[in-house]
Amino acid sequence: MSADRERNHDMTRTDIAFLLADAADEVEIGIAPVQAVMRGGRRRRARRWAVAAATTLVLAGSTGALAVTGLPGDGHGDRRTNVAHPPSSPEARHVYEPQTTELSRGTHKGKPWYVDIQVWGAPRDEGEANQQLASMDEWGLHPAVDKPAQVVGKISYFVTMKYGSDSPQQILFDSVKKLDRPSGTDLESASLPLDKAGDGPAGDRLVVGSVAKTAREVTCYWKNGTTSVARTGPVIYNHNIPAPAIVPAEGYPAANWFVCAAPEGTTYQTAEVTK
Amino acid sequence: MGDRKKARDEEFQSFVVGRWPRLMRTAFLLTGEQHAAEDLVQSTLEQVYVAWRRVGSADDPEAYVRRVMINAHARKHRRRLKEFLAPKDDSGLVREVADTGDRMSQADDRSALLKALAQLPARQREAVVLRYWEDLTETQTAEAMGCSVGTVKSNAAKGIAKLRAIPGLAETVTQGGRK
Repeated sequence: MSADRERNHDMTRTDIAFLLADAADEVEIGIAPVQAVMRGGRRRRARRWAVAAATTLVLAGSTGALAVTGLPGDGHGDRRTNVAHPPSSPEARHVYEPQTTELSRGTHKGKPWYVDIQVWGAPRDEGEANQQLASMDEWGLHPAVDKPAQVVGKISYFVTMKYGSDSPQQILFDSVKKLDRPSGTDLESASLPLDKAGDGPAGDRLVVGSVAKTAREVTCYWKNGTTSVARTGPVIYNHNIPAPAIVPAEGYPAANWFVCAAPEGTTYQTAEVTK
Repeated sequence: MGDRKKARDEEFQSFVVGRWPRLMRTAFLLTGEQHAAEDLVQSTLEQVYVAWRRVGSADDPEAYVRRVMINAHARKHRRRLKEFLAPKDDSGLVREVADTGDRMSQADDRSALLKALAQLPARQREAVVLRYWEDLTETQTAEAMGCSVGTVKSNAAKGIAKLRAIPGLAETVTQGGRK
């Protein structure tokens, strides 16, 4: 039975590789546009500076506008309307600075790791979106879009893991009009190694996920048969390291989050809502 | 100083010329469309050019290029993969699900495979292309996709399972490949 499965697997692998190679031949290769690529590269380099300069100008512009709006005795009906019903500023909506929550932390091989979530408010127009993408870039975050227009009206969130001096790694991220609201025993998770260099293949030791607001307990199952249980309620700390817990995240009211780290010597198998 | 820059540019040029065909094929499998593939490779190489000083002297520039391409693909196609990839009919509406009765898709294996690939979520498509076309190990694929080996395994397995579920393709696969 398992020999059959193995044979089927090999056949699938060979055949899929064959079909892919065949399909890939359909593309017209053409001549590499070397000069165009280099021109494009130079433009990109120049644009980085342009974006940084534009961001500074926009910020200066907003400050000016706020100062004018705040002047007393203006005598302008439209401006008074604005004062009576001030639209919340992009800053208040966390468009340029995310709401951040530490979901968990710990240590591995003597180095600390942190799992955080950053939730960015929805930009209302392309100007705000442009500035938001520039801010995300400064944070080292890469959203799932490539044009500012694609984040207008959308909340963006990033769950990241930072280990030691490595740069933060994006684990789960998306830009959505409405945050997914899991229910019942729904669970969305991702697993990853804590230490890419040391954990080796299939060395996923960390699992991060979201669950319904009503979920009270998540059980993480490890390959050696042991489990870790994350629960709602006060987080218990041991030497300043939190035990696995289900926690809310600022700016993300639709779900709660959990993080489990596998004990030394074993790796992630699965996780589910158990209560 | 100027000479060093010139040497770097020449090195980059020969890198582009040498890798262009392979990158185009990979991009074609990822995007399913000639012009989209050209755009993807070109924008990838532009980004590589910006960082060439660092990339060119790295041990494995290929790995960097793959990572940039997969990131660019994920950014561009994650949200609207199906809309971007699926052939559009006259009304401009996107075909979300393959028409299993479509004779063309059964007659042409390439077309069937490209259509089937087009229906996979971006991450599954990337995992399948990197594992089975680029023939990368799971670890290399994980590096390129910026995710864990477990995620690669699961995306590749789901992708393959979906490809096998496509009637036209399943026949081809069970008959041991095309021709």
